[in-house]
Amino acid sequence: MTRRERNWLLVAPAGAWFLVMLVLPLSFVFVFSFGERGPAGGYVPAFTLEQYANLPARWTAFKNTMVLAPLGTLAALLIAYPLAYQLAVRTDPRWKTLLLVLVIVPFWTSILIRSYAWIFILGGQGIPALLAALGIEDVRLIYTPFAVTVGIVYGYLPLMVFPIYVALDRLDKRLLEASSDLGARPFATFWQVTLPLSVPGVATGCMLVFILLMGEFLIPALLGGGKVFFVGNALVDLFLQSRNWAFGSAVAFTLILIMLVTVAIYMRLIARLQVRRDDVAIM
Amino acid sequence: MSKTFGDVEAARDLDLRISPGEFLSFLGPSGCGKTTALRMLAGFEAPTRGDVLIDGQVVNQLEPHRRPVNMVFQSYALFPHLSVADNIGYGLRQRRPRLARSVIADKVERALETVRLSGFGKRRVWEMSGGQQQRVALARAIVNEPKLLLLDEPLAALDRKLRKEMQIELQDLQRQLGITFVLVTHDQEEALSLSDRICVMRAGRIVQVGSPQELYDCPASRYVADFVGNSNFFEGRIEEVDGALARLVTGGGQTLAGRASPGLAAGRDGCLSIRPEQIRIGSEPGPGCIEVTVQNRIFLGEHTEYLVRHGGLGNIIVLAPRQAEIGARGFEAGARAFLNWSDEAALILNPD
Amino acid sequence: MADNGYISKKQFIEELRRYQKGSVTRRHFLGVTGLGAATAVLGAAMPALRPSSAFAQGIGDRVVLATWPNYHDTANFDAFTDATGAFVQVNVFGSNEEMLAKLQAGGSGWDVFVPTNYTITTYVAEDLIEPLDVSKLSNYDAGAFDPRFADAGTVDGTLYAVPKNWGTTGFAVNTSHDGGKALTTWKDFFDRTMDDFSGRTMVHDYQLTTIGNALKYFGYSFNSVDPKELADAEKLLIEAKPHLFAISSDYQPAMRSGDAWLTMCWTGDGKQMNSDIPEIHYVLGREGGEIWSDYYAIPKGAPHREAAYALINHMLDPQVNAREVLAHGYPVADSRTNALLPPEILNDPILYPAQELLDALEFGAAATLTDPNRAELLARFKSA
Ligand SMILES: Nc1ncnc2c1ncn2[C@@H]1O[C@H](COP(=O)(O)OP(=O)(O)OP(=O)(O)O)[C@@H](O)[C@H]1O
Ligand SMILES: [Mg+2]
Repeated sequence: MTRRERNWLLVAPAGAWFLVMLVLPLSFVFVFSFGERGPAGGYVPAFTLEQYANLPARWTAFKNTMVLAPLGTLAALLIAYPLAYQLAVRTDPRWKTLLLVLVIVPFWTSILIRSYAWIFILGGQGIPALLAALGIEDVRLIYTPFAVTVGIVYGYLPLMVFPIYVALDRLDKRLLEASSDLGARPFATFWQVTLPLSVPGVATGCMLVFILLMGEFLIPALLGGGKVFFVGNALVDLFLQSRNWAFGSAVAFTLILIMLVTVAIYMRLIARLQVRRDDVAIM
Repeated sequence: MSKTFGDVEAARDLDLRISPGEFLSFLGPSGCGKTTALRMLAGFEAPTRGDVLIDGQVVNQLEPHRRPVNMVFQSYALFPHLSVADNIGYGLRQRRPRLARSVIADKVERALETVRLSGFGKRRVWEMSGGQQQRVALARAIVNEPKLLLLDEPLAALDRKLRKEMQIELQDLQRQLGITFVLVTHDQEEALSLSDRICVMRAGRIVQVGSPQELYDCPASRYVADFVGNSNFFEGRIEEVDGALARLVTGGGQTLAGRASPGLAAGRDGCLSIRPEQIRIGSEPGPGCIEVTVQNRIFLGEHTEYLVRHGGLGNIIVLAPRQAEIGARGFEAGARAFLNWSDEAALILNPD
Repeated sequence: MADNGYISKKQFIEELRRYQKGSVTRRHFLGVTGLGAATAVLGAAMPALRPSSAFAQGIGDRVVLATWPNYHDTANFDAFTDATGAFVQVNVFGSNEEMLAKLQAGGSGWDVFVPTNYTITTYVAEDLIEPLDVSKLSNYDAGAFDPRFADAGTVDGTLYAVPKNWGTTGFAVNTSHDGGKALTTWKDFFDRTMDDFSGRTMVHDYQLTTIGNALKYFGYSFNSVDPKELADAEKLLIEAKPHLFAISSDYQPAMRSGDAWLTMCWTGDGKQMNSDIPEIHYVLGREGGEIWSDYYAIPKGAPHREAAYALINHMLDPQVNAREVLAHGYPVADSRTNALLPPEILNDPILYPAQELLDALEFGAAATLTDPNRAELLARFKSA
C-alpha cells in the first residue's frame, strides 16, 4: 500500500459518513424544496420556486430563532464563563474532575425529562408559589420567552462550559503571574490576558450552542407552551403535522443557508480576534 | 525565611541582605530552590516562615502587582496575543495615572534598542526565535525601571556569543540604571563574570555568599569549591593546623600542605583542593615534585588539559597555559611528567 | 386504605391509574414535541419466555400497535400475550397527522393502528391501509355497532376499519374561577379567555380542533375550509393569543396544578380530571363542535398480519372492551359491551352527553385534515 492509498483508507470512514449522513440528506432536502405538496401531503416532484416564494409565511419563526438563538448563546456564555473560570483557574486540581463530571451529570438524563422538571419548577406550584409566599403575587414564568431562555441556558450550559474550560485550563498560569508582576491588578489581568487568551474556547462554545439553538424545537415547545415558535418548531409542524415536505424542505434549506452564512461571518470575526493561528477553534 | 511545598522544603532559612544597586547571583544545581527564592521576592509565593523586606518594609502581604519588583521568567512568559512592542509596553500601560501613548512608545523603542531588537516591535512573539524571545522578556522587565529586577536564567537559551554580548549588556544596563539585579543561573562562569556577589545554594539552603573571587579562592566547603570552578580533591586526615597553614595525610600516605580554611581541627577528616590551573607540569623532576603518568590530553584552545595519574593520589587534572608549551610539543599519553604547586595555592577544607 | 392498614390490590391499581391519568393525556406530550415515534414497549416480558402456543397458532411472537397514549388497559394486552404467545409492542402517537406522516414515509413496521374517522378515506386513497377480512374477526358483529361510529370504517363498500371508541371535543373549565357565571358556548370560551380567564386558557396544538372550535364561535361549520370563514377564525385566534396560557395538547398537568383554568378537551381527559377534581367540568359548546370515533385498522405491508387480526379480534371481545372503557373513560359504540358496563358509566353526562348537545356536533372531514390552508393558519397563529 502506498502512503497515498493509506491516507485515502484513513479518511474513507469519515468520507462515507459525510456522504451518507450529510450530503445525501441535504441533496434530498435541496431537490424536495423545488417540489410541491401532494393533495394528502408528502412530496410531488416538480420544479417550482413557489416554496421559496412562500418563505415569508414563516418570517416570525425565523425572526424568533435569529433573536433567541444569539440571546440564548449570550446568556449561556455569561453563566458558563465564570463557572469554567472557577473550575479551571480557581479549583484545586484534585477536585476538578469531580466538579467537571457534575457539570455533565444532567446530560445523562433525557432533555425531555429535564425540561419537564423545569415545567414544574417554573409552573404555578414552583417558584411563583414560593414568591407568592413572600408576598410577590401573580408571577408568570412558565410558557414565556423567559422560560425558554432558562431552558436553553440550562440545556446547553455544558457545551459552553467545556471548551471555555479547556481554553482556560491550557492557559499558562505564568502569564497571569507575569501580568501581575508587571503591575496589573487582578481585574486588569483578567481583561488583558485571561479573556483574550480564552477567545478560542469562547468561540467554540458559542458556535456549538448557536448552531444547535438554530435547530432547537424541543425546549420552545415544552417551556414556551407552543407560543414561542422557532424554525425548528415550524419544521416539526411542516413535516409531522401538515406533511408539506416541499415547503418544509425549503424552510430547512434556508435555515441551513442562514446557519452557514452566520457561521462564516462569525468565523471571520473570530479569526480577526484570534491570537494564535495554531489555536484556531478546537472544533 | 523558609518555604515548604507540602513536605518539600524548597528553601530553608534563607537570610540574605541585598544592597541597593548590587548585582547578586543565585548559583546552584537544578532544583536547589533558586526560582523559589526569586518567587518569594516577587511575591508569587508567601514565605512559610520569615519575612521579605524591601526598603525596610515587610512586604509579605503585598501582592506582586504592588511590589516595585519585576521578573524575567525562566520560561519568558510572554503574552502570545500581543505584539513584541505591546508585550514590552504592558507594564507601562498598567501605570496609574496613565502614561501618554507617546511616552510609552518612546520607552518601548528604547528598550527594544537596548536588547538589540529595534524594528521587531510589530512582530508576534511566536515569530521570534528563543533567544529573541528571551530578550523581549528582558526588555519587558527593564522598561519599567523597577527597584529590583529578578532574572531567572534569562540567558540560558542564547548561543555562547550572544550570551557573552548580553551579559555585557546586562552589566552595562545595571550600572546605567542603578537597578538592583538578582540573577539566577547555574552557569558558574556567568555568575562569576557578572556578579558583585554570588549566593551559592544547595538543597534549599545558602551555603556561601561572597564576591566571585572570595568564592573561587576561599570556598568554605568542598561543595562550593566543586561548584565554583573545577578542582582536584585529595582526601585524608588532618595532621596539623598551624595558623593559616595545615597539613593533611592522604590515604596513600602522602603528606600535603595547604592554606587552612576556618574551623579545621587536627585529627579529623579533611580534604585538599587544588585548582587545575595552579598546577605546573614539567618534564624535569625538582624539589616537592610528584611524578605522574600522562593519561590523556585535551586541546582546549588557549589551554591544554591533561589527565594524569599518580600512584598514591589517583587521577589529577592539570590545566597548562599554551605559552608553557610553545616550542615544546607537550606531553603525549603515556609520557612521564612531574607536577608541583605552591602550598598557598592549595586549600584544606572540611569534607562536608 | 383498608382497616387492616395495608393497601388492597384494587386500591393500588386505582392509585396507579390516577397517577397515569395525571401524567399522560390522550394527545400526549410526545405528540407536542414531535417525538411521537418514540416507542414504549409494554408487555415487557421477553418473547422467548412466553408459552409457545404462538407457534401452534402460527401468528408469530409479536404484534406492533400504533395508538394513542393512555388509551388501553394493559391487562388486556397481557391476557392476549398469555393466550397467543405474541407480545404487544405499543407505539404512542400525538396526532393523526403524525400517524399519516409516518405511514407516508414508509417502513413504519406497524401491524395495527388506530386512525380517527376522518382519516380513513385518505389512507384508502393513498393505498396505505389493508381491507379487512371479516372471517378472521369472529368477535366483530356489525349489527352490534351504532352506525354513526362505525360507518367511516367502510369506504366504497369495503371494510377497512372496525370501531374502537368514540368521543367528543369540548372544553374543561375549573368552575371555582368562573365567578358563578357558567361557560356554556365556544363564544364564552373565547370571550372569557380575553376577559376573566386571561392567561389561564389552553388551546390544542392541533389545527383540526383549535381552528374548528374558533369557527364555531362564529357559528360556522367545524370543518369549514372557506377562506373568509377561516380568516375570521384566524383573527379571533390571533386576538386571543396574548391571553393564552399555552398552545398545547398536553393540558392535564396544567389544569390539575391550577396554572390553567380553561382548556379545549377530549372526553376521556374531561372524565379523568372530573373524577379527581370535581370543580373541573367538561362542557360541550352549545354551538356544536367535534364528535369523533377511532378505529382499529391494519396498514399495508404489516409485518405480522395474522397477529394483527388476532389482536383486533381480541380487543373486540365485549369483555375485553368493557375493561378498556373502565380504564380510559371513553365510550364505545358496541351495544354488547355497553350491556356489560355499570349504569354509572352509561349515565355519565361526560361520556354520554344529552341528545341535543350531541346533535349539534359534527364529525371531522377528510378535507379538514389535509387542507393546506388550515395547516398554514395554525402555523401563523403559533408564530404570531
Ligand atoms: N509549586 C511547587 N510545588 C511543589 N514543589 C515545588 C513547587 N515549586 C518548586 N517546588 C520544588 O521545590 C524545589 C526547588 O524548586 P525551584 O524551582 O526553586 O528550583 P530551581 O533551583 O529554580 O531549579 P532549576 O535550576 O531547575 O530551575 C524543587 O525540588 C521543586 O520540585
Ligand atoms: Mg528555576
